[in-house]
Amino acid sequence: MALLETKDLGITFDGLVALEGVDFSAEEGKITAVIGPNGAGKTTFFNLVAGFYTPTQGSVSFEGKEITSLKAYQRAEAGIARTFQNINLFKDMSVMDNALVGLHCRSKSNILSAMFRTPGQRKEEKQLREEVMETLEFMGLAEYANEKAGSLSYGMQKNLEIARALALKPKVVLLDEPASGLNTQDLDELSKRILNIRDKGITVVLIEHKMDVVMSISDHIAVLNFGKKIADGTPEEIRSNHEVIEAYLGKEDD
Amino acid sequence: MTFGKIYEKTRIWILLLIAVILPLTGISNYWLHVLNIGGIFAICTLSLNLLTGCTGLFSVGHIAFYGIGSYTAAVLATRFGVPFLPAVLCGGLLAMVFGVVLGMPALRLKGLYLAISTLAFGEIAYRVFLNWEDVTNGSRGILGIKAPVLNLGFTEINFKTYDTYYYIVLIFLVLMIIFMRNIIYSRTGRALLSIRESEIAAQALGVNTVRYKIIAFAASAFFAGVAGALYAYEVHFISPESFVSTESTTVLAMMVVGGIGSIPGSIAGAFALTMIPELLRSAGDVRLVLYGAAIVVIIIFAPKGLGGAIEWLDNLLMGKHKKKVEED
Repeated sequence: MALLETKDLGITFDGLVALEGVDFSAEEGKITAVIGPNGAGKTTFFNLVAGFYTPTQGSVSFEGKEITSLKAYQRAEAGIARTFQNINLFKDMSVMDNALVGLHCRSKSNILSAMFRTPGQRKEEKQLREEVMETLEFMGLAEYANEKAGSLSYGMQKNLEIARALALKPKVVLLDEPASGLNTQDLDELSKRILNIRDKGITVVLIEHKMDVVMSISDHIAVLNFGKKIADGTPEEIRSNHEVIEAYLGKEDD
Repeated sequence: MTFGKIYEKTRIWILLLIAVILPLTGISNYWLHVLNIGGIFAICTLSLNLLTGCTGLFSVGHIAFYGIGSYTAAVLATRFGVPFLPAVLCGGLLAMVFGVVLGMPALRLKGLYLAISTLAFGEIAYRVFLNWEDVTNGSRGILGIKAPVLNLGFTEINFKTYDTYYYIVLIFLVLMIIFMRNIIYSRTGRALLSIRESEIAAQALGVNTVRYKIIAFAASAFFAGVAGALYAYEVHFISPESFVSTESTTVLAMMVVGGIGSIPGSIAGAFALTMIPELLRSAGDVRLVLYGAAIVVIIIFAPKGLGGAIEWLDNLLMGKHKKKVEED
């Protein structure tokens, strides 16, 4: 079943067509990759799905319900989490607090219960802290829990991006170039983690340039070029698709 | 047990003990008044810090909320005979209403534009205090705000003198510090901080940023209003001149000198900038120049404000600096 679906999705910025007529679907419990050359509209596509842009055409639906008019935070509440291509952490907050913000939707204490530290608030806070440690451990961040996010190494910051999104306990997580800037060893670990995330039952949608990662872990791949979807299929099908090869390598001269 | 450990466990209590016995040391009435004003401004500065330091929203007209709280309490007390606590609470609540009213349109604005709109709000509030004669008595101000009285049944305690009112200010300041800490280390506090750090990432994690910005405005205005109400009872007479926009600048300076985002810093900044002009009184006309120079010196030598300096000293006394060296 398609968990996340877009129909004829498109957006125009001041007359510039950034994305046009994209039909996309991500199957529940699968890893779907979105690939394409630079400037193909991949991150724009994520911003539309996560609710950061309002589309000028088409619709987005999630679990069979249309969510095109929902705001970004409402989509997060509904179970769509995302990471950012250019790391977008809360730099002056601790690693733990970063991940705790991810638990925002699933907790309910308010400013008054916080001011007076009611028993309910204290109990919730304790549970949140225990729960968030599990997520940090999963991403190999437990020992840095009290460090400032901005003081982490690049690789660890990328991991924290993912940990924060996972703390939401989302149904689908959108990973925007999780492998960029990582070395070979970190890449293997990342691939394993993404497979683990899927095995936990979380649907993964992934933008990635590193083809070996994409080809080895994806169940399904969609290819964008110049704001349009040009192909869709299993890794094998994409590998042998002429249009895709052309998009990446250019047209062969006869 | 090492000195550092003992210090870490007892520092808050020692500080509180000093604060409690201070009026008993024969300190002059004049200085008690200065301390009370310092304490009241500390509450106001902390409230500004909740908005600016935590949430990253600049308010350059914060004294307006303080003034609304002050006038509300003064009018309720002098015209309707409302007792101290409900009057102070109403002062805070009315300021909060205005905080929400200002917060809603201000949410569409960012950075400098928001700052300008709060500046305008401060100016409007001052004009209303000055010209709404029926309620505020205009430039003549409101006289005869009676000191709070605590009725214990068998005896009455009157908080008319500075040394007794001092304890009321102290209780409110301690409560403010506790509330502020509790807010920062909670779900709400993290949501506010996340807005300051990255609004987009906050939204991606499900934080309703509009809602939390309004909460920040409301809470900040409430506490500022309470501080203003306390001020009315300290001086027994208020007039629009106490709420001119330079006062907003003073509160802003207290926060910056103290260190944006720091609780001890806000308190130190408020006391420092209340006391420095008094200490410089003997210097006569050059007083304000020296006051300005003092602010510049603090900002240059303590870029993280007095709060940063306090944190450094605190760590030193707890012996945390040594540990770091050993780790290296």
